[in-house]
Amino acid sequence: MERRNFLRLLGFFGSALLPGCRKEGTHGTLISQLVPPGDGVMPGEAQWRASTCNECPAHCGLLVRLREGRPVKLEGHPDHPLSRGGLCLRGQAGLERRYHPRRVLAPRRKVDGVWRDLTWEQAWDLLADALHQDRQAGRRSVYLAGRTTGSLSGLIAETCRAVGLERLPESELYAHANLRAAHDLLFGRAELPQWQLTSADLLLTLGADVLETFVQPVAFAGALSEARQNPEFAWWHAEPHLSLSGANADRHLGLRPGSEARLLRFLLAGLVARSPWRERLPEDLRGLAVSPDLPGTAAATGLEAQRIEELAEALRQAERPLVLAGGSATAQVGGLETAVLAGLLQRLLDPEGARLSFARGQNYAALGTLNDLRGLAEALAAREIGVILVARCNPVYNSPDAFAFGAALAGAGLRVALVDMEDETSAAADLLLPLAHGLETWGDAEPVAGVLSLFQPLAEPFGEARGEGDMLLELWRRLRPDAPPAARSYRDYLLAAWEQRLVDQQLGDLARQGWVELPASAESAPALRASETAAVLGTAQGPAATATPGLLLTPSLRHFDGRGRPLALLSEIPEPLTTISWGQWLALSEADARNWRLKEQDVAELSLGGLRLALPVKIQPGLAAGVLTVSREALAGLPFAADEHTGELLAWRDIGQVRRVGRERLPILAGSTSQHGRGIIPDPVHQDAHPVATRSELYPEHDHAHYSWALVIDLDRCTGCSACVAACYIENNVPVVGRRDHLKGREMSWLRIEPYYDSGRPQFLPMLCQHCHYAPCEPVCPVYAAYHNPEGLNVQVYQRCVGTRYCSNNCPYKVRRFNWWEHRREAPLDQMLNPDLVARDRGVMEKCTFCIQRIRVARDRAKDKGRLIADGEVVPACAQSCPARAISFGNLRDPEARVSRLIGDLDPHRVFAGLGTEPSVYYLGCRRPA
Amino acid sequence: MSLSPAQKTTLRRLALAALILGHFGFFILAVGVVGLYRAGQLPPPPQPIAFPHPTHVLGLGLACNFCHETVEQARGAGVPPVEKCLTCHRQIARERPEVQKLLRYWDEQQPISWVRIHQLPEFIYFSHKRHVKAGVGCDSCHGPVAVMTEVRQVRTLNMGFCVGCHVKSGASRDCAICHQ
Repeated sequence: MERRNFLRLLGFFGSALLPGCRKEGTHGTLISQLVPPGDGVMPGEAQWRASTCNECPAHCGLLVRLREGRPVKLEGHPDHPLSRGGLCLRGQAGLERRYHPRRVLAPRRKVDGVWRDLTWEQAWDLLADALHQDRQAGRRSVYLAGRTTGSLSGLIAETCRAVGLERLPESELYAHANLRAAHDLLFGRAELPQWQLTSADLLLTLGADVLETFVQPVAFAGALSEARQNPEFAWWHAEPHLSLSGANADRHLGLRPGSEARLLRFLLAGLVARSPWRERLPEDLRGLAVSPDLPGTAAATGLEAQRIEELAEALRQAERPLVLAGGSATAQVGGLETAVLAGLLQRLLDPEGARLSFARGQNYAALGTLNDLRGLAEALAAREIGVILVARCNPVYNSPDAFAFGAALAGAGLRVALVDMEDETSAAADLLLPLAHGLETWGDAEPVAGVLSLFQPLAEPFGEARGEGDMLLELWRRLRPDAPPAARSYRDYLLAAWEQRLVDQQLGDLARQGWVELPASAESAPALRASETAAVLGTAQGPAATATPGLLLTPSLRHFDGRGRPLALLSEIPEPLTTISWGQWLALSEADARNWRLKEQDVAELSLGGLRLALPVKIQPGLAAGVLTVSREALAGLPFAADEHTGELLAWRDIGQVRRVGRERLPILAGSTSQHGRGIIPDPVHQDAHPVATRSELYPEHDHAHYSWALVIDLDRCTGCSACVAACYIENNVPVVGRRDHLKGREMSWLRIEPYYDSGRPQFLPMLCQHCHYAPCEPVCPVYAAYHNPEGLNVQVYQRCVGTRYCSNNCPYKVRRFNWWEHRREAPLDQMLNPDLVARDRGVMEKCTFCIQRIRVARDRAKDKGRLIADGEVVPACAQSCPARAISFGNLRDPEARVSRLIGDLDPHRVFAGLGTEPSVYYLGCRRPA
Repeated sequence: MSLSPAQKTTLRRLALAALILGHFGFFILAVGVVGLYRAGQLPPPPQPIAFPHPTHVLGLGLACNFCHETVEQARGAGVPPVEKCLTCHRQIARERPEVQKLLRYWDEQQPISWVRIHQLPEFIYFSHKRHVKAGVGCDSCHGPVAVMTEVRQVRTLNMGFCVGCHVKSGASRDCAICHQ
């Protein structure tokens, strides 16, 4: 017998007999339902329900996929008036918060420093007694919440009135105090307006991180993407450092920290020297019409005179310009002046207020500032406060260290925290009340005035968790049996509130589509309060002399104000500018690194007043000398000051000595910041010089009868925001492996964002399996686990794979991931798994599948109707989540498909096309940043 | 006795062959014996209620999808909810011990945990709807359930079984059709 035949027989017998080896007692169970489920729930079929994202104050619209009653994926609601289908990485990861193993599941009380679970009854008694005692003793009891909109805001106010609680101004780190104060000065509206970006042909942003955290990042990204379809559109961004927003602007102005006002004064002076802007300047402000001082401005801002001139000219030429200051520009000394100047400039450029709507304001009016927190800390320290209830905010972490808020809390009689997970504030509390997730309760949000967005209970709360509204009603009932609330539950309260506010049609819309847009009040642009404005701009001492080097605290794309820290997925996804995943770092320029003799991954120690901060160093290309940046979550405290006058956080501070104290490895996932001339992103500086390889193929040519799937990524739209990466992780059960594996280069992401700095500023490229038609991974697989399917997909059969890793070694794109471990998911995180595909075992290779499970669902639907899959029926997770609509997916066999039309007669760029791999991923467009 | 070099070589070869054959032969034999002993001969496990399919299918003439309602609409065929049984058994055969078990479940509002007989591995995508709509009868995979007093698995439901049918009926043989 030949060896080959022998092995064949052996294999045959072995595999034929394996099914017989099933152990007894391994039978699963089929649990019958008691009554048939309503709502068309069917076994194995997904349901979609509308909801609202609760991860940040933006409140984007959601569609939630439910499988067998469990939410397994969050997606942007395609019709939502704000987010328009996009959902950022924080929103995607919001699902992990629901299934987090460290959720607080029952009321808890701290006894001798140890948490003990209580029943709700005990918790209420404790709270009611404490409130009663404090009222007798004449102490204040207070309610401090994070930003609250919608009906909950009304209920908090009513409950506080009924039970004698004092409702404090809301607490957020990014409260935009200076911006609101500026709008108060200019227009008498201490609010944030809605900025109409889509119609603008010039955008000048100063410091505002519109793509990361600023007010409505998803809506901004979508609007920017639309505005960019106008070839005349240009985006200028001025900031001292390099943010993701700055990296995406057409023109980046890296100015000296604190010199934004100087630049604005120059632009203003240049504008009002001419008609028609001169006539628009009110009498009181004529003092501002000084002759523009170009050399002085250039010297103060550190910008080239020519670039400033270009900007001034662009502003004059633009028909629909929008000027917007925020973020790092307003969060520093003199930030109020910057904000006022920007507002005034915008008013002159747009006197009707066409691109600045207060009628659709952002509902930030109830927010306090750091001054309110300082006052609270002082009152706490003076033992004036009895019971303090803190809901959905973390003032201990997000107030300046100088307030000593944590220590001050000890002065309260009873500290109660309404939390879903423990944080710095709840650690200092005596009583925890478990807060239900947004997917588990009724509710509504009103992120923008007149846009109501619905929360509905899509799953049972875990443990004893309850919604805040129900807690408030219960508190009210217990403390005021003489005058209980009219509503029996928060659901009743909501219904009453909605019936009062909405007509039947609108209520129906809210229930059906998950949001409703009320007609905006026909409010004309508020009048400019010239004398108040003149008073501020007259007294402002001009730009503060800001000393460099200094440290800039930047908002975090991944962790917002630190609230994303418990979510492992957000740490697993690399920060797009640096590609660092797990860990914290200090970014500095190459010049500074040379100056202080620091190498990448050296630990640098800064002295910040009394505090010493030691962090590993990342040398950030594009960063100016003298500017060091650190992300919010990298700091345990907040060693920054607050503006005494406006209560804004001053995110810039001087640093003392910088010295090297050691070394710490950082998981920097990109091997290089350069393309090394390989032409990965098509650009004149990176021509792919390789000759086109002659093809030699082991397998026969394949033809695609009905489908040839392809992905088209528009690099002009892509911002590198990494929402697609998060969506891919959750949709495809990609394991989160942690820092140790990342340091070994064993990350598992199927889709990654590659930043390249060859042209000085980063260009981003989403890299995923290219589904090559002549895939190098396929012929090297000894077991036919990697193969090309009739629909043009490069498929990996996990059950065939034996883990030789030849395919990964032969892949020019480095997109295949090997499971080095069996990735266990701590309960109840295992319930978050998408049941449409299997979680891979140890020793198996995996990679992007173009979301084949979604193709399967679409095919099923198409077959029911006896047709082929129509264009747009399959939307992979990455394309779905993209706020900028950069990714399109479809069938190239269909000439009418969106991808076919996008490609058209062009031969769009494909990465390493010279290798002859014929990828199915096409990259359109390439902006050369200036 | 001395052996010639040729004999020695033959002997050595024979010994080697015997060794190899013995080694692998033992393995084949062992696996074969164990396999034959167990293949498909598992006794049907006891169910919480001895539900007689023949009474309902042959006796009453109920169609499969009368109870397994979603078989033409969804991936899963669906286990009937307890309320479904009650539509008849509120009145009919209430005195029988097995029906009384059922009524107890209903009175206590407890779902029934049936023992699962047919289970594909979790990495397999299988849609009842697609197969039924393509004209594959229930008994093709489940056997003659109508005559089984106790349901047991009579088909292997392994990959060979599936592929054999797919080849015969001209259905897709793309791995990704089933492997998810």
